Amino acid sequence: MRTDAVLDALARREPVGGTDAAVRLLGALVVDVDSQRLSSVSITPST
Amino acid sequence: MTTSTIATGIMPNVTEGCVADAATGVRLATRSDESDLRELTSLAVQGDRTAIESLLGHLRPMVVRYCRARLGRVSGQYHIADDVAQEVCIAVLSALPRYRDMGRPFASFVFGIASHKVADALRSSVRSAVPTQDLPDGPDEGPGPEETVVRYIEAQHARDLLSRLPDTQRELLILRVVSGLSAEETGNVLGMSPGAVRVAQHRALARLRQLAELESIA
Repeated sequence: MRTDAVLDALARREPVGGTDAAVRLLGALVVDVDSQRLSSVSITPST
Repeated sequence: MTTSTIATGIMPNVTEGCVADAATGVRLATRSDESDLRELTSLAVQGDRTAIESLLGHLRPMVVRYCRARLGRVSGQYHIADDVAQEVCIAVLSALPRYRDMGRPFASFVFGIASHKVADALRSSVRSAVPTQDLPDGPDEGPGPEETVVRYIEAQHARDLLSRLPDTQRELLILRVVSGLSAEETGNVLGMSPGAVRVAQHRALARLRQLAELESIA
């Protein structure tokens, strides 16, 4: 799998097979970053 | 930062009760997305509140992921990283009226601010008390402690190795993979052509692989 395709798959949070240590670590980082929900932001008029 | 510093007269308001799953909303931008974003940015710069909210809603998840990837957890939580992401959003809002489209996507402007805010946070040795979440009323549906620890260790290992890459390689991988920017968008943020991004990302991944393998041998 080409590097561009691998990175695109990781960016889309799609499973990437294989035993590449770098890809596995990036995948772990993505899972960790996404594991806590993101608070949404709304904007309100200042007072 | 006070409301008076925000020229647009609006404040971002984090609403804990209204959350979006972090795993959603990650997609690579298409050319039409970039065109829409440019139009949205133009309206936002003119003070259109709906456009500002849409723009922020589009960019904020990417900024949060970027800050989380760079700063990591403190006491098991992402409060510091999320606070920095919030500062980035406020800084972007403050700077919006002065923003001039010079042909580079708005995202490059935003991630430029994010990069500086993260650097400031890394320089700061202050790690003040971290608020903890309220105790849940029901059973925790999340992963168990063992899985959580393994995931945390692997993610931290990834951060450690990324921190040993040259700055451009580290930024490139985080923007491409964690924030979910396309090669074109990443190039715009880093001042590189899409072709140069593709060459550099290949080298960055190879370097990361090399570091990981060296560590596994040691």
